[in-house]
Amino acid sequence: MKRLAATLVIAALLAALPLATRSDFVLTILVFAFLQGMLAVSFNLVFGYAGQLSMFHAAAFGIAAYATHLFGKHLGVGYWSGVLLAATLVGAISVVVGAICFRFRLREFYFAVVTLAFSEMARLTVLNWNSMTNGSLGINLQDKATIWIPGAGIRPIESTLAWYYVALAALGVTILLCWRLVHSWMGRAFAAIRLNDELGDTLGINVFRYKLAAFTAGSVMAAFAGSLYAYFLGSLEPGFLSIDTSLGIIAMVLLGGRSAVAAPVVGALVLTALPHVIHFSAEIRSIVYGAILIFTILAMPQGIYGTAATLWRRHRAA
Amino acid sequence: MTQLIVGQLLNGAIVGTLYGIVALGVTLTFGITGIVNFALGVFMMLGAYATWYFADVVGLPYPLAVLAAIAVTAAAGLVADQALFRFTRNNLVNGLLVSLGLIAVLEATALLVFTSTPKEMHRVLPGIVMAAGLVLPKIKLVVFALLLVVIFATYAALTRTWIGRAAYAYSQNPEAAALMGVSTARLQSGVVVYSCALAGLGGALYAALYSLEPTLGSLFILKAVEAAILAGIGSVTGALLGGVILGVTEGVGSIYLPLAFRDAYGLVFLVVILLFKPAGLFAGRR
Repeated sequence: MKRLAATLVIAALLAALPLATRSDFVLTILVFAFLQGMLAVSFNLVFGYAGQLSMFHAAAFGIAAYATHLFGKHLGVGYWSGVLLAATLVGAISVVVGAICFRFRLREFYFAVVTLAFSEMARLTVLNWNSMTNGSLGINLQDKATIWIPGAGIRPIESTLAWYYVALAALGVTILLCWRLVHSWMGRAFAAIRLNDELGDTLGINVFRYKLAAFTAGSVMAAFAGSLYAYFLGSLEPGFLSIDTSLGIIAMVLLGGRSAVAAPVVGALVLTALPHVIHFSAEIRSIVYGAILIFTILAMPQGIYGTAATLWRRHRAA
Repeated sequence: MTQLIVGQLLNGAIVGTLYGIVALGVTLTFGITGIVNFALGVFMMLGAYATWYFADVVGLPYPLAVLAAIAVTAAAGLVADQALFRFTRNNLVNGLLVSLGLIAVLEATALLVFTSTPKEMHRVLPGIVMAAGLVLPKIKLVVFALLLVVIFATYAALTRTWIGRAAYAYSQNPEAAALMGVSTARLQSGVVVYSCALAGLGGALYAALYSLEPTLGSLFILKAVEAAILAGIGSVTGALLGGVILGVTEGVGSIYLPLAFRDAYGLVFLVVILLFKPAGLFAGRR
């Protein structure tokens, strides 16, 4: 109950934040952080809850970003139809990739390597399919994301403030969905698989089906994040599908924490805001990223949320 | 056409031994410490730049520069092991993530120090060998021979010496090995450092063949991990064969299939092997 109250307070504060500041700088960082947070939360469903180190998340993110644009351009569908079609496409690809991996019982490192291989194949396809994707140059998006406003009809999302609420809502829905999933019978199956999938098998849990469900659900959520992210950024590039994107997602989850559904958002906020608050060159940013990753794993394996929660409990007990 | 194919076969085999030397490090580290050290790629990059530095900036003769570069990478490996990898033994995911962090740090540092402009080392051992209508640069043959010698020497050391037996004993049963007097902590550190030195050697030889970029390690480590898995992780001669198979697949594959997807052929091959022969092509061999 307390937790629900805290969540509602945080949600209300975030919703009311634009009353305090309309600064484009602050809102832009927060929109990026929320969209990255969607990625991190959905990745944590696969990694933190179901225990599968998927390297396919960047591919799901990037494929959806490209697909949304290409569906709009070649089929002439509107933005949200494009988003849904892209998510469906990513879902279908994930089912195939996941089914191959899990049917052949790939685990841990081998699962990571094979999903990485599929992710790289997707990246190479995007990089080399020049007629569709414009290769390494990427695409500048001319079309705008739209939203239906009661009374005003379908309008393009243009102001950063509008994006702020769209991103906040999308992140909220992602967290809610993940929360519902992991606190259901399905979430208990995920936990069993994470802790010992052979034991789960003997207890009558259909390991294949639940791994596939977690993997596909995570990828589809990443797809929505990708469609929104590309249109907020206003451009597409093959780098969306790179190993660096996956590394960034992993860093956010580890830094934020794995033990609560919304914990990775903390990591997303810190890592998105950091380079904007202190002006780094790309190299220094990369060094800081790596150092944070190493430090978190060796010194703070529970992440910011987990460490803070432990400290808070200790404080309360004392 | 036959010449082109034979040429690509040889080229693939030579590049493959370079994959193999790094793959050997991957396999040894995995067997003894239970982690996959993705950072071996940046140690290779370090070895390559150190060789360039010692040979072209300091002005040492190339063989001495290679030895100095190996010493530098071994020392860097020892520091990384004591400061980082010591804490991630037998924890695959943490080891993976720590090595990813180390890659980010070292690669960006190299970018700051050496910039992204490719560095060309002076030509070592110019000249070619003509054989049966094929043109082979001498340096490539020397590199090929040297790598084969090192890989087989490692194999001999692992099968013929006390340390090698200790390593096999450890990989089969750590506790029993410790009870028989194997200093396990030292063995683990030794293997991590030796793997880094092997990667450094790979980099030092790479510097004599190609131009250097800070990102060269990332590409190579992926290939090396592919090679190690292809052969079945834990097999020494398999690492070499895995590397050569991968190099040849890419070389010959790019004759018949679009060059742009060159990096994908090895991946497709790897996925197929992992699905149908998960223990690797040469499962059961040492």
